[in-house]
Amino acid sequence: MERHLDAHCQAILQEFQDHLPQFEKEAAEAYEKLKRTLDDAGLRVAAIEYRIKTEDSLAGKLELKGSKYKSLADITDIIGLRVITFYIDDVDKVSSAVDRLFTIDWTNTIDKRKLHEIDSFGYMSLHYICSQGDFSYRFEIQIRTVLQHAWANISHDTGYKSGVEVPKEYLRNLNRLAGMLELADEQFSSIRSELADYKRRVKALVASGNLDDVPLDGDSYRSFLDLKPFDALNRRIAAVNQAEIQEVSLIPYFEIFKWLGMESLGDISRLIKDYSDAAFQFACYQIGLTDLDIISSSLGPQDLCIAYIMKNGGGKAGIRFMLDSLSGPSQSNEMMAGMMAEQAADLPFMNQKESTDGK
Amino acid sequence: MEVNITKQSKEVVVCLIGRMDTPAAQEVAPQLEALEEDARGTIVLDCKDLTYISSSGLRIFLTLRKAAAEKGGKIIVRSINDEIRSVFMMTGFLNLFEIE
Repeated sequence: MERHLDAHCQAILQEFQDHLPQFEKEAAEAYEKLKRTLDDAGLRVAAIEYRIKTEDSLAGKLELKGSKYKSLADITDIIGLRVITFYIDDVDKVSSAVDRLFTIDWTNTIDKRKLHEIDSFGYMSLHYICSQGDFSYRFEIQIRTVLQHAWANISHDTGYKSGVEVPKEYLRNLNRLAGMLELADEQFSSIRSELADYKRRVKALVASGNLDDVPLDGDSYRSFLDLKPFDALNRRIAAVNQAEIQEVSLIPYFEIFKWLGMESLGDISRLIKDYSDAAFQFACYQIGLTDLDIISSSLGPQDLCIAYIMKNGGGKAGIRFMLDSLSGPSQSNEMMAGMMAEQAADLPFMNQKESTDGK
Repeated sequence: MEVNITKQSKEVVVCLIGRMDTPAAQEVAPQLEALEEDARGTIVLDCKDLTYISSSGLRIFLTLRKAAAEKGGKIIVRSINDEIRSVFMMTGFLNLFEIE
């Protein structure tokens, strides 16, 4: 697009062209510094990005309001960095990292979140104007949540930059939407805090041994695994062939335990207590006459589930379902399930008359 | 035992042929462990002609799986026969691999 720039604006544009490699270097450095700091702090964000203003965009800005700027140094968004957080609470955490990493121009830094008036329009973010080292040009860092980012992008797409410009008939709906997004941001943060509280309470209950009071869910199951509940059974099975035990994730068994009707950690604990002998018999039958001297730590829970399914009438179909859930549906699972059901059917635990008091 | 490795643009296909008993596993281990370099992508262990696997063979599979997990790649075990599938099951390794 052809721009009509006066000599003053041309000079600023020339200064930009002359310093472009330096802008690129400084932007990459600021980005790396910020990214590393957030990573080190364990702060997970949706995105960190940066860009250098394009020559065309700068020329457009100068064409509109070039007389406002004495030199290129007055334009603070040649380099722009943006951090998009998942949670509103994290905006302040990122801002404290920015405070520590860069020199802040407090006169021009704007916390647009604080500019809200009762009848104001919009949903804004935190804009820092910073500098680093002896680089003489300032740059901008925006920090906003994913929802603020969505708002900024969509409202930008409407072509209206401020509430003042928006036709009145649409203003009310935009304000409602802005309010809803603010509320959603607060709710997401609040849910995160409540979940963190829940995890702490579950850990405490698990540690205190009140397993019947702990409903079985993803978090409680993870805490339960910290107690290494299947280790004794795995060691017992491994001893048959003096096998080594390879530690693997036992998370896939969460769904199996749910499917078997376990509702609390107490239920799994009873399953282990009541069915460990049966699982051991089954494992011995399978590996006792082989020279296999390596097992995975999922063998204990696997054989416990098989013993439970068989003892409770689930038979071949139940084992097939378990195998399909664990390793994906396959025709071979039908054959494997049949083979295991047959093997288990002849073992002593299947023929013991007394019922277990498991679930 | 024989190992044929074909590197394609999107995956490395490893055809395992014969019995992977302990001596055979030791013999082919350097060849297979060198594949850790390729563990960023997909490694297919084609077991169509693999007739037996020992603990030593399982260990090699696990080493590759670990390397793939660390590097963001994946291991696919293709066409295992029922006997080998049964070994995977008896040792609790069946759900650790993507089995085709």
